[in-house]
Amino acid sequence: MAIILEAAYSKKLGLPNFSSHSYVVSIRTELGDINQVPEESSKLYKMLQEAVDKEIQEVGFMPDATQYGMNGGNGHQTGHNGHANGNGHRQPTEGTPITPKQLDLIGKIVRENNVDKNEVENLSVQMFGAGVRLLNRMQASNLIDELFDQYGHKNGNGHRGKYQQREQTRS
Amino acid sequence: MTATMVAPPEKKGAARSIEELISNVSASRLSTWSQCRLKFFFRYVQGLHKPKSASLHVGSSVHAVLKYWNKARWKGEAPSLKQLHDVYSAAWSEEQGKSPVDWEDGSEDEERKVGWRLLETYFRESPIQPDEKPEAVEVTVEADLARHGLPKLVGIIDLVRAGGRIVDFKSSGKTPDPEQVGHLNETQTTAYGLLYRESTSKIESGIEIHHLIKTKNPKLIVTLLGPATENQTTRLFRVMEYLVH
Repeated sequence: MAIILEAAYSKKLGLPNFSSHSYVVSIRTELGDINQVPEESSKLYKMLQEAVDKEIQEVGFMPDATQYGMNGGNGHQTGHNGHANGNGHRQPTEGTPITPKQLDLIGKIVRENNVDKNEVENLSVQMFGAGVRLLNRMQASNLIDELFDQYGHKNGNGHRGKYQQREQTRS
Repeated sequence: MTATMVAPPEKKGAARSIEELISNVSASRLSTWSQCRLKFFFRYVQGLHKPKSASLHVGSSVHAVLKYWNKARWKGEAPSLKQLHDVYSAAWSEEQGKSPVDWEDGSEDEERKVGWRLLETYFRESPIQPDEKPEAVEVTVEADLARHGLPKLVGIIDLVRAGGRIVDFKSSGKTPDPEQVGHLNETQTTAYGLLYRESTSKIESGIEIHHLIKTKNPKLIVTLLGPATENQTTRLFRVMEYLVH
């Protein structure tokens, strides 16, 4: 009877600016004798680890932390490394991070009402325990509602109308 | 035979094309579609709306206070009953300004009191503690379902309690049948579950319907429902598919 041995090795490393990247290599091999498992497993572990370690040194795309995700930036929300965070900070954005449109809208409210960016950042932390760029879509939507409530109607720039349209989503 | 004269529907919104109506859909639009095609046609295609009822006026004003209360808890504030009553009075006037109700003599004051008694009951009996911080309040969410060949689903969730518990507030003149609540609200609750998942990548821990009952002695009935099931999601998709195709 053939014995199928499957082995996988993965490694995830933290990167600057709350980023991380990970790589996994897996292998499936056939053994003639079950007694070969311990020795084969050790061999595969070493081999896979070396393979992963060799590749993971190549960091690949790294965003410019001063531009990435900001208004006027490149608009991408995820780099090659996928996960936004892996170093113990909260990671609410997995899967559904704040969208470029939402970021643009927040930026627009900030600019048009001369709002201090730190004020918005503090509001985000107060409401959700995280900065703007770490919000998920639902949180970002609620933050935008709050910003419209506080600032959107001040200059008659049409935002309030848009907010009212959002209210009408109920129908 | 008796005949009753009723006010004709007022036309509030512009008529909308079918293409526009199916480019994105909400739970209420889907529910109307499921209930009656003609009702859907009059309301959404023709843009006809019945004049606002006293009941809807009370419900909207009550809803505005609940929204204020939820937002206040979010900010760590604990508004007094007096403050909440002020919010209620302001909401009542604003509603009347936006879409006036043709009150019968003396009925406005009576209805206003009914609404406030409902709120007092709610604040006394609510399962939500005054210091419980919400996860989201009156939040607009959407789900892109293009991968299923379906239009975008949009909605506003009244409240998401800590831990992903979705809450929907309803005011009603009669006590809901506990065996039918889940079924009658399935389109809405499933849509909310789906919207929550799509905008957070988390699964809701459950759904609560808070019925504020406008009986002589107002009461609060909370119905607890589990997270939306796969079968419910499939049924929702079928309704959407039927509307679109």
